Amino acid sequence: MLNVAPACTAHEFDLVFSALADGTRRDIVERLSTGEATVTELAAPFTISLPAISRHLKVLETAGLITRSQHGRWRSARLSPASLAGAAAWLERYERLWTESFDRLDEHLARLTSENSAVQDRDQRQQR
Amino acid sequence: MNTTTAPQLTLTRLFNAPRALVFRAFTDPEQFASWWGPFGNLLPRDEVEFDVRPGGYLRWTELFPGQPDTWTKGRVDLTEVVDGELLDGVMQITGHLPHGFKPFETRMRLEFHDETDGRTRLEVSQWLPNHLVAPTTNGWGEAFSKLDATLPS
Repeated sequence: MLNVAPACTAHEFDLVFSALADGTRRDIVERLSTGEATVTELAAPFTISLPAISRHLKVLETAGLITRSQHGRWRSARLSPASLAGAAAWLERYERLWTESFDRLDEHLARLTSENSAVQDRDQRQQR
Repeated sequence: MNTTTAPQLTLTRLFNAPRALVFRAFTDPEQFASWWGPFGNLLPRDEVEFDVRPGGYLRWTELFPGQPDTWTKGRVDLTEVVDGELLDGVMQITGHLPHGFKPFETRMRLEFHDETDGRTRLEVSQWLPNHLVAPTTNGWGEAFSKLDATLPS
């Protein structure tokens, strides 16, 4: 179960989801989940150009999913999991809207079905 | 609203009642008012107005009796209706919502299926209120589940 981070804003939520909507960016996020990496290391599995990778990293950074840094000649990135957890927390909140009402629907249906069977019992007794 | 993608939220729920009964609990205003309430615990019966057919609608209001500043108006514009089986449409939630929610619009789909022993399986699909998800499949869900394993708990 993910830690429930403070709920992010609708805008942040949009940025995270649009950042993750791209397969290359999801792969980058997954690679970074095992630790910090340089841009060159991140680009290695892909056939697209380094500038294209940098554009993807920019999208991820704007969404707050990664932070980038420079050590001498090496540019690198690391994951900041708080944003992802925030988006997951959003999903949990929406899911809870349904499940809480469904608990009450359970009770409502139980009342209906027990009323139905009480009526049926009474009718059967009257028919004897 | 982009709904050519897979839904972002899916739920399955089993109910101990026959499908026709469960469907009616959603579409009979009297019954709906007695159990529905994600945003309030009182639905004034005279503000629940349903026209259950394709092109029709569901309208309702949710209140907390002790909190006049919090109110929610719900509306579903129904696009697909199959009696006893399916409700599909666009839900708009407006008002001064509780729990930190802001007004939103989302497509949702409810499918009612028979289960053994006179029970019903409800499948809820919801496309969350964001317009930017590109036409890929469940990649975001995979991203979450892979990261779930690595985040500190």
